[in-house]
Amino acid sequence: MSDNHNTSSPVESSSAPTTHFGFKQVDKNQKASMVANVFDSVAAKYDVMNDLMSMGVHRLWKRYTIDCSGVRTGQKVLDIAGGTGDLTAKFSRLVGPTGRVTLADINLSMLEVGRDKLRDRGLVGNIDYVQADAEALPFPDNHFDVVTMAFGLRNVTEKQNALNSIYRVLKPGGRLLVLEFSKPTSEQLSKLYDVYSFHILPKMGQLVANDAESYQYLAESIRMHPDQETLKGMFETAGFGQCDYQNLTGGIVALHRGYKF
Amino acid sequence: MPTSALVSAFIESGINKLLRLDEESAARLTSLKGARLIVYLEPLPNAFMLVFSERIDVLSVYESFDETVANLSPLDCCISTSIQTLPQLKETNQLTRLIQQNKLNVEGELAVAQKASGLFQQLDIDIEEIIASKTNDVFAYQSVKTVKTAHEKASNRVAALARNLGNVMVEEKPVAAHRLAVMHFSDEVNALRDDTARLEARLKQLEDPDN
Repeated sequence: MSDNHNTSSPVESSSAPTTHFGFKQVDKNQKASMVANVFDSVAAKYDVMNDLMSMGVHRLWKRYTIDCSGVRTGQKVLDIAGGTGDLTAKFSRLVGPTGRVTLADINLSMLEVGRDKLRDRGLVGNIDYVQADAEALPFPDNHFDVVTMAFGLRNVTEKQNALNSIYRVLKPGGRLLVLEFSKPTSEQLSKLYDVYSFHILPKMGQLVANDAESYQYLAESIRMHPDQETLKGMFETAGFGQCDYQNLTGGIVALHRGYKF
Repeated sequence: MPTSALVSAFIESGINKLLRLDEESAARLTSLKGARLIVYLEPLPNAFMLVFSERIDVLSVYESFDETVANLSPLDCCISTSIQTLPQLKETNQLTRLIQQNKLNVEGELAVAQKASGLFQQLDIDIEEIIASKTNDVFAYQSVKTVKTAHEKASNRVAALARNLGNVMVEEKPVAAHRLAVMHFSDEVNALRDDTARLEARLKQLEDPDN
């Protein structure tokens, strides 16, 4: 799980470099558009499916991320892969009118769903919506106090590039929080989780969102994502200090944290 | 951890639902906009932070009291107390005594705590109106009237029972002393204590006449 995660795999022949898309190996240049297709397909039912798949626990994971963010009035926050704006909504109130929250997502469908949802809730005035690739963030150096990325990093083609890019846009003293699926700490839980992910999840996706394939990809992409220690190492490679992580719900999800000094 | 996140989610949801039931609370909430109240309650493992905007967001705080105090902003107030002391905070004239007894520690902008306290103490929720909006006026009126009557009757019963029980214990089966007898006994004990103290002082004087 930890060795073949984020970068391109060694190429069998002299053809274009490849990377994983779920369990499949695909041309590196195609991954972004394939991920985009997945999220275009699920955007409308994204929130419903999240609640259903996690039985609402994803809200607690995100709440815990916000608790650990230490966001204060007047700060600048970047919520990468912010999707339908769960974190942004709360950050918007926490930073107040003197602060700013940027909701960034590479996928326009997700960004539009998030923007409509937040505007319908009356959250306007201190939120910017930016379609951006996490690997090449279109923001100045040393700009944000806090950067968060919830359930987005595993979809990025070159994860190390994304972490490097985040490091660049963070202010010195700023912190990065990455909430992402990870590796369960117990063998029994891992087996149970496999059954759930590969047998129940795609069926739920078919039933609710009429899209089993996207949820099959979700399960596969989770297995291909780096485990806790590997991701922590990637944080350190990017230059982050005081890196640590906390396993949530038995390691099904982990919250990684690192500071720029 | 998610357990504390679950608790803070429940608190947040409950507080905001309560505030929505009182239209006047919005104006009181406006005066707190931008402020934060951090509450450390022993023996809870973590503190809770109330962030005031158009609503109240409740976050869990995992830093220690001293760490939080070191990073307070001008509109922040940090309180440390225990669950047992909590009911006493309603009486604002007791605050100084509680601080002197180290039962309450307040850092930062005290006005935030006072306004937050006022926000909840002045809650005026018209239950009848809420039930009427979901059913109809007659049903709401009858329901509230029935509950009020039942509550009144129950209160009277409890008060009568307490009176009767007191009479039985003091008069009919004297297992407890009458209030006047207890007061007289206390006065006698005080007088005896004073006499003993005087005698002790006199004995000391006799044993050591130089002093």
